[in-house]
Amino acid sequence: MNLKPKICILRIEGTNCEYETFLSFTRLGASAEIVHLKQLIGAVKERERRNLKDYDALVIPGGFSSGDYIRAGAILAARINGAVGEEIAAFMKNGKPILGICNGFQVLVEMGLLPGLGFCAHDEIGLQQAALTTNDSARFECRPTLIKHENNGNCVFTRGIEKGCILKMPCAHAEGKFFIDEKKREEYLQRLEENDQIVFRYVDPEGNYASYPWNPNGSLYNIAGICNPEGTILGLMPHPERAFYVFMDSEWSRRAKSGITEREREKTKGDAYGDGKKIFEAVLNYLRSRVDE
Amino acid sequence: MKSSFGKAFLTKKRFEVGIRDANDEELTRISESMGLSLNLEEMCRLKRYFAAKNREPTDVELQSIAQAWSEHCCYKSSKNVLQKFIFGIEAPQNMLVIKEDAGVLEFDKDHAYVFAFESHNHPSAIEPYGGAATGIGGIVRDVICMGAQPIALIDPLFFGPLDYGYDQLPAEVKHPRFLFNGVVAGISDYGNRIGIPTCAGMVYFDEGYVGNCVVNVGCVGIMKKADLSRSMAKHGEVLVLVGGKTGRDGIHGVTFASVELTGEEEFRSAVQLGDPITKEPLMHAILEANGKRLISGMKDFGGGGLSCAVNEMCHAGGCGAEIHLERVKLKEEGLSAWEIWVSESQERFLIAVEPDNVYELLAVFEKWDVDAVAIGQTKPFFREESFTKEKKYSPVSQITIFYDNEKIFELETDFLVSCPVYVRPMEVRREEKEKFVAIEEPVDYNETLKRLLSAPNIASRESVIRQYDHEVRASTVIKPLQGPIGKETHGDATVIKPLEDSYKGLAITSDVNPSFCRINPFWGAASAIDEVCRNLTAVGATPHAFADCLNFGNPEKPDRMGDFYECCRGLGYVASSLGVPFVSGNVSFYNESAALKESIPPTPTILGIGLCEDVRECVTVDVKEAGNPLYMIGETKAELGGSEYCKLWHVEGGIVPRTDPAVLSRSMQSLREAMKMSVIASCHDVSEGGLAVAVCEMLLGGDIGASINIADVNPELRSDYKLFSESNSRWVVEVCRGEAAGRFEELMNTRGVCISNIGETLEEKRIGIQDKNKELVNISLEEVREAWLGTFG
Repeated sequence: MNLKPKICILRIEGTNCEYETFLSFTRLGASAEIVHLKQLIGAVKERERRNLKDYDALVIPGGFSSGDYIRAGAILAARINGAVGEEIAAFMKNGKPILGICNGFQVLVEMGLLPGLGFCAHDEIGLQQAALTTNDSARFECRPTLIKHENNGNCVFTRGIEKGCILKMPCAHAEGKFFIDEKKREEYLQRLEENDQIVFRYVDPEGNYASYPWNPNGSLYNIAGICNPEGTILGLMPHPERAFYVFMDSEWSRRAKSGITEREREKTKGDAYGDGKKIFEAVLNYLRSRVDE
Repeated sequence: MKSSFGKAFLTKKRFEVGIRDANDEELTRISESMGLSLNLEEMCRLKRYFAAKNREPTDVELQSIAQAWSEHCCYKSSKNVLQKFIFGIEAPQNMLVIKEDAGVLEFDKDHAYVFAFESHNHPSAIEPYGGAATGIGGIVRDVICMGAQPIALIDPLFFGPLDYGYDQLPAEVKHPRFLFNGVVAGISDYGNRIGIPTCAGMVYFDEGYVGNCVVNVGCVGIMKKADLSRSMAKHGEVLVLVGGKTGRDGIHGVTFASVELTGEEEFRSAVQLGDPITKEPLMHAILEANGKRLISGMKDFGGGGLSCAVNEMCHAGGCGAEIHLERVKLKEEGLSAWEIWVSESQERFLIAVEPDNVYELLAVFEKWDVDAVAIGQTKPFFREESFTKEKKYSPVSQITIFYDNEKIFELETDFLVSCPVYVRPMEVRREEKEKFVAIEEPVDYNETLKRLLSAPNIASRESVIRQYDHEVRASTVIKPLQGPIGKETHGDATVIKPLEDSYKGLAITSDVNPSFCRINPFWGAASAIDEVCRNLTAVGATPHAFADCLNFGNPEKPDRMGDFYECCRGLGYVASSLGVPFVSGNVSFYNESAALKESIPPTPTILGIGLCEDVRECVTVDVKEAGNPLYMIGETKAELGGSEYCKLWHVEGGIVPRTDPAVLSRSMQSLREAMKMSVIASCHDVSEGGLAVAVCEMLLGGDIGASINIADVNPELRSDYKLFSESNSRWVVEVCRGEAAGRFEELMNTRGVCISNIGETLEEKRIGIQDKNKELVNISLEEVREAWLGTFG
């Protein structure tokens, strides 16, 4: 049993959420490492080189990889595809999970790994089937969001999280509007549903699929996160690593200072866990049980 | 720069400027045509110096001296005032204050926090997007070069009114709306990209900023004490330039900041271009190299570029240096030697490294794809001393520069740093412009309150705050917006939890009220300290250190200098009484525009840092529950000068709020004690808009109503004065109901802190305010929210 799954957290210039993502995994007992793309390519000294196949999971963290010039995620996607495309393909084939948070989601979409519908028909493998485009507000939005878990058990990052459960975690992006070309929209959405690829959708506190500010970017179908048909690749715009503990939440002090019982107060005192932890936990559970099989 | 000079440099490395035989008129002309911004007196001093040396200066030498002697670099107008009032407040937490680019203070046994605060006014007024962005770049470098990881950015901004009439605007002045949008976008794009949360700041509007906006920027960092790096070089080290390439951007940035703004496009070259995607890996590389103990000393390139960095590092370490300028990597061909030497191109550092470590240091930078080039070495120089029989040599700190083996510069750092210090003539305004003009009591309080809530200096800043990533690094535990989703209100201070395994926090806030300072600079500045302390205390923190960014007009004008003197006196008075030190800051003079012929209001912006023993105990602004009593802490006086209420009626003058450090200190201590007893559910300081606005902001954040009665608040005052006076040292608190309220009252009474019960929170989403039996305000919370949210959308 692999109790200490090895997590590769990929960074290049401009990724900037790698440290808190690293902490989220290490807090849960994983062996996480922040790895520069150059280390995978081999463009560094011998002792700094790394091989993707030595890791159990790959994470592309949030940030502005290569400045997000051109289009969010486009440059890193091209660099990964160009330099370690084959390793990535082998990694996926092995059923090893890949997580893309915020900019990482943009990268996975640019790489064509998400939604990854290609194999079904139309010979669209490797083509970009969706986009994460400019927010409807036309500006950067840093705000808490509520996302409803919609997956029926396909996605390895949310197994164990009850369906219909509403999680709270913040988003912070300028280009997070999930978008599918009008001609394909209906067909693709249907397939996303059929394949159990929809993981998170933005909702209001009552669980309704509401518009701005609940849907912070104007995403199609309120989509906040999707996985590939196999359920091993998850991309999401909100930041689970920013919701690991309760004290990272925007409202923890409201609950802590309300007149609830002393025992409940202890629970929300701040060192309790937030919703983001569930995602890291789920994938680590998957990895730990997987080796057992 | 006149082009005739530029061409000459291209063909020749060494270019001498004849000043030894120049008359006064010619000296002035040389200063002007070379863009030196040195006055005649200073030019004459140079003339004497080089006459004694028996040679003419080179262009590189003159440019270098001009950088070192600029107001921006050497504080020649302000130094004596700063020394009198601002420097030297002793405190046990001080580790390294004032001396270097950022102040260093004790955080806990093993860690220190670092912070710096600067203005970027002139560049932002010319090119708001780039100016604001590079402002962040510069301040982040100041923190990194101490060896610290940046963890927070703070951006106080000051503009003219957004609805300022285009017909009133002089041709060369840019519209406040353009500047505001550009600056916010610049901060958002740069700050978000480098992955440091922009988590505090302010946006202030006043007609006085039409001709010259004020853009201040602060940065806080955290480090292990053992990682502290000094900005000095020792003998026998290699000087390595790391980071971006050197170009023509940012030439004469400091000398341009040391004259009045003419608004002319020719100064655009003085604005540097930022590159967050060079900065981000550069930051990692430096921190990695420093962690590996490869760096002996480092300094970022701020004003004056390479010239100031080499000079200051060598001077501090008492060594000389030999520089080979041709090794500097350039963005473009054809830069002349002096341009390379003074360029303020962004994202560069100078690192002093022991020869044995050079190879490993370069490897770290190579890994991060960041340029690193050894450009020279430090070495001792000796001067023969002839006044004794025996030959004696004393070491001098001398910098020599070669360009393609041709010596183009040879000066002692002692001379470079011996900038003149001026005691400028000043007119001190002790009497405030406070003819008190009576205001008629409003008939419709509902309307008055709504107008106040929508005033530009009070209305919701959510649309700005949301454009800044204030949560990256996942350590922002008390956020700038507080309350349930969709109902948030402004927080008083942001709290960062900098360490993974400690609950200790840093509270961060910045503030100043320029309207107070305009009427009475002494009490206006004192109020800024009071407000910063109030903000920090409101979240439960203890004020620990201040940084000051002093933005003023032309110091050569006696009334401006007088305002500066009085503001410093006010800051020093309160801070020293509280025993809280100023550890870093800068002075920005010449904030006036030639076109409008007016100075900005005196703007001594204060950045305050407080310590929270346990972030889990922090208190926020949003009201938590219906049925809790509300109290006001502090005394309300008829201090309406500069208040937002007066601005509604276009009343200028009046008495600005006073502050008594003893009362402030006692109130802060008692309030923190009450928070420790867990009886405080929410807390907000009373500032712009007075008591009424403070209560509304708390209720908006909780989406809860209240019934208020102000009968107990200074009964001698008229109702509108009670509601809208901006007296200092006040807070509104929501206290947990039941016996907690009794314990709170008892504590405050024993501590001798004035409190008034002003009502309680209600289930019904309405705000009712009465003075005894007289109903003043009765409106729904939604109406209040609409007014507050409407201004900036």
